[in-house]
Amino acid sequence: MASILRVNTLTDASSNNSTAMSTINQGTAKSWAYLNGQGTIALQDSFNNSSPTDHGTGEYTFNFTSNMGNAVYSSKFSGISQTNTGANGTTTSSIRVRVRDGSNSNYDSQQVMTGIHGDLA
Amino acid sequence: MASQLKVDTLTGVTTAGSIVVTGEGNSTTTNLQQGLSKVWANLNGSSFGLRDNFNVTSATDNGTGDYTFTIATDMASGDYSLATNAGDNEVAILGCVFLDSASAPAAGSVRIRGTASNGSATDHTYVMIQITGDLA
Repeated sequence: MASILRVNTLTDASSNNSTAMSTINQGTAKSWAYLNGQGTIALQDSFNNSSPTDHGTGEYTFNFTSNMGNAVYSSKFSGISQTNTGANGTTTSSIRVRVRDGSNSNYDSQQVMTGIHGDLA
Repeated sequence: MASQLKVDTLTGVTTAGSIVVTGEGNSTTTNLQQGLSKVWANLNGSSFGLRDNFNVTSATDNGTGDYTFTIATDMASGDYSLATNAGDNEVAILGCVFLDSASAPAAGSVRIRGTASNGSATDHTYVMIQITGDLA
């Protein structure tokens, strides 16, 4: 049977490693994704992402399933070697990402990875 | 009334590996397990040594700016999300760390490359990684 536990703080059985529920809320990633950005783009795996959008070479929008509470969340990116990956527009429901190679040209990377921390709506 | 729950392990009732947490807006929910970082590490790539980490067995120095992190409890696959960062005490050196193009992320390890802003391989003083995704 599903259950709801209402609690302010979690600790281990020895009362150590105390963690407030607010820390758990704030500390957990609200979205992450691993996208293959080459050819027909495809999410390899993800959390809280619906279908991504391909805007052309090296530009993608990741759309959230459950929106963020505001657009001032923290984002982090990674890509295959010799690429620079960064945010190119954030909203509560999506983040647009641009990937560039070492020559500063847009590049379709096989591995485009995102992580989002912040407040859910 | 404030409350405190003392527990060593949290397990979902319906699905053991899935616990729902109410979000900051007090309405939307998120998944606890999916949101947790499964691996993090802070590596000194210059003198080479892990400063601190979670779920990392060891780091291997494959050469200048070339490191492999071995994961203690494996991920379910290589399809996880990796975030990296790098820097040095010297302001002039802007650090870049990327996935190694010849080594796809694996369930038990990930290989990365550190470069300077001009693209040359560099051992950065601070090399940081974080992984979110599915544990095995």
